[in-house]
Amino acid sequence: MKKGKKSNFGAYAFLIPAAVIYLSVIVVPVFYSLFISLFKWNGVSDREFVGLGNYVNLFTNDPTFLIALKNNLIWIVLTICVTMTVSLGFAVILNKQFRGRTVFRAFFYFPCVIAPIAVAIIWRWIYNPNIGFINQFFKAFGINYKQTWISDPKVSLYAIFIAALWQGIGQPMILFLAGLQSVSPDVLEAATIDGAGSVRKFFSVTCPLMKETFVMVIATLIVAAMKVYDVVQGLTGGGPNNSTQMLATYMYSQTFQYNNVGMGTAVACVMVLMMMVVIVPYISFTAKEK
Amino acid sequence: MSGKSKKITKKVLLYVLLGILALIWIIPIFTLVATSLKHKKDFMSGLSLFQLPAEIAWDNFYNAITKGRLITYMKNDLIVSFLKVPLGIFVGSLAAFSMTRLKIKHSTGVFVFFLIGMMLPMQTALVPINMIYSKLGLLNTYFGLFYVYIGFGLSYCILVMRGFMKGIPGDIDEAAYIDGCNKWQLFYKIIFPIAKPAVATLFITDFLSTWNEYLLASVIINDNGLKTVPVGIMTFVGEHGTDYGYLCAGVLVSVIPVMIVYLVFQRYFVEGMAGAVKS
Repeated sequence: MKKGKKSNFGAYAFLIPAAVIYLSVIVVPVFYSLFISLFKWNGVSDREFVGLGNYVNLFTNDPTFLIALKNNLIWIVLTICVTMTVSLGFAVILNKQFRGRTVFRAFFYFPCVIAPIAVAIIWRWIYNPNIGFINQFFKAFGINYKQTWISDPKVSLYAIFIAALWQGIGQPMILFLAGLQSVSPDVLEAATIDGAGSVRKFFSVTCPLMKETFVMVIATLIVAAMKVYDVVQGLTGGGPNNSTQMLATYMYSQTFQYNNVGMGTAVACVMVLMMMVVIVPYISFTAKEK
Repeated sequence: MSGKSKKITKKVLLYVLLGILALIWIIPIFTLVATSLKHKKDFMSGLSLFQLPAEIAWDNFYNAITKGRLITYMKNDLIVSFLKVPLGIFVGSLAAFSMTRLKIKHSTGVFVFFLIGMMLPMQTALVPINMIYSKLGLLNTYFGLFYVYIGFGLSYCILVMRGFMKGIPGDIDEAAYIDGCNKWQLFYKIIFPIAKPAVATLFITDFLSTWNEYLLASVIINDNGLKTVPVGIMTFVGEHGTDYGYLCAGVLVSVIPVMIVYLVFQRYFVEGMAGAVKS
């Protein structure tokens, strides 16, 4: 009896280093942030308790925050509609049997391993109105079309999204490839015998069988879309005129540029609350499946 | 006969499609390389992106590495990554070992608790970390940076290691205990070596994500001599606003190490990722 108790303590000892680091880096700071978000504070002088004032202010009196919120929601819709579809398309093509398949897979995954901040900087040159690829390309073909891309508030968000798309298809593509390989060929064979065409087979057999993969891809894409920061910061920094502000970039500028620390942390807490809406059902879904 | 030619047409169409996609996908890299080979005067003279300059600007690369401090940034990033990755994997593996092979209570609950960290945005912890660090004097230190990296990387590490360790049969533990191993010996002599494939995958993906991290590094480090590559490259761009060739050379140099790691360990990405998913 005594021995059992002792050995169990040893089992927890293996958790200690991880727990200490995790608590000190994530858990405690997150709760501390929640606390700070209840104050009006510039980071230096005394804090003034305002309760939920920062949150009320954000939602009722802060047009930039609402732009950022809207942009994040647009970003989520774009990643689900575009990134997911494109990466699924790539996965379907790269799942076929042909020579050089591994090379192509590695090639299309490659942008994933570049630093997002470097991706942003690279795309600055594509969008550069004078020396950039797109406008130079039009010029080479004698088309007199010029667009300032990232400095035009109407298109800048979508321009950034294209850069993110270039980098972002790799991860979901790999997940879809794994999903496609888990669909048994026998089931597809049976569907062929029943007279289903390849399109029909894909939508009525393959897709439903990949339900788990879809849930996983959608959840990771939404989480990533809520967090999107590097590529926006590197391309526009939220500009022009706040038109590409995201919650993450707005949190950063409020906190570290304008010293509205209380307000900035409130933005971060809104991000967490919004993500919980995705995370909680996702985790309970995966827990149930197992 | 017609069936066969149809098959060939299909194959040709597939390659044409892939070729077009590959051409589109190469545009950013092409732009980067094409720009980095040019001097400032080439842009002034209105040379098109698609033309080679009379004299290729190799000195752009040399200057970026030396005057642009890229070599310093790379050294810093290398130090931080090589401290963070092995330590993070070690700590995460210990935790995963405890969750899967030692009968702790609520092991699923503990796992979920650790998993949440993967989804939380770093922004939520940023202000407190910054405050605590400035009090403890940990801003602008390697330790300060790799410590938070371990914290934020732990969830993914535990996810992968737990997935792998769950698949190792329990008989092994029994046999080891009978042979007189204690828990620690079971971990470092038996389970950890078996988990090598997972460790290898984790090592590489973790290395790249550490190497590429920007947000935390930009808050914790502002000393030019200690910056990592992503933060350094932003500084570099800020300092040389219009010298496009030079800038592109800098970005290209910063991407090359990643490119090499990717080419050498390519199979770990595509296969390893799929493995992590299945478990």
